[in-house]
Amino acid sequence: MPGPVRILLFATARQAVGRPHLDRPVPAGGVAVDALVGDLAREFPELAVVLRSARYFRNGRVLRPGRDRVYPGDEFAIHPPYSGG
Amino acid sequence: MSVRLSARPLSVAAAYAALADPRSGAVVLFVGRVRPDAVGGRTVRALAYEAHRSVALAGLARLERAAREGTGVRRVILWHRTGQLAVGTPSVIVGVAAAHRGTAFRIAARLIAQLKREVPIWKTERWRSAHPRRRPPRPRAGPGAG
Repeated sequence: MPGPVRILLFATARQAVGRPHLDRPVPAGGVAVDALVGDLAREFPELAVVLRSARYFRNGRVLRPGRDRVYPGDEFAIHPPYSGG
Repeated sequence: MSVRLSARPLSVAAAYAALADPRSGAVVLFVGRVRPDAVGGRTVRALAYEAHRSVALAGLARLERAAREGTGVRRVILWHRTGQLAVGTPSVIVGVAAAHRGTAFRIAARLIAQLKREVPIWKTERWRSAHPRRRPPRPRAGPGAG
């Protein structure tokens, strides 16, 4: 069943979009991470720069772009390079 | 608590107490503080820290476990702040208790490097204005006044 994916945005990703999260509908069979990221880059050109060096997580687990998919109900997080400390 | 991600101030005394262990002859505490960096004529007045909390806590716990496995390290703390921190405020404490100083220094240095590289925490600069806002001019006295 189709449904939304919640996209969590942190640091420069949040600044580029202007919001801490987005919801995007995806089909029941999910969507490839690369396709989702590509759509976001087209929708938010400032985010595209951040996405080039970002890591992606689904429900707290790291994703492999090019191999993994996200499904309705998932939480998809975009992590710009870390800068703690 | 060995790992912490908190909006509350970090206490060096509490960190030292958390590393209490009678068999440890060495305790190394690293405290990172907010620096007043200057870039392009602007100076940092504060840093705002944020984290992907669940992933960050899992990452800190993983680092803590790995630091104790097969190293001789007896206790580890990894504490990090979130929220807006003024210059000089501690943002992170890494503590290691071990039998000997060499191990404690080495593991503490490794941990802060891993934390910065692997744990989803971010900081954003809050700048002090290069041109502080001036007070508005006082109204001119009307004709004939003093």
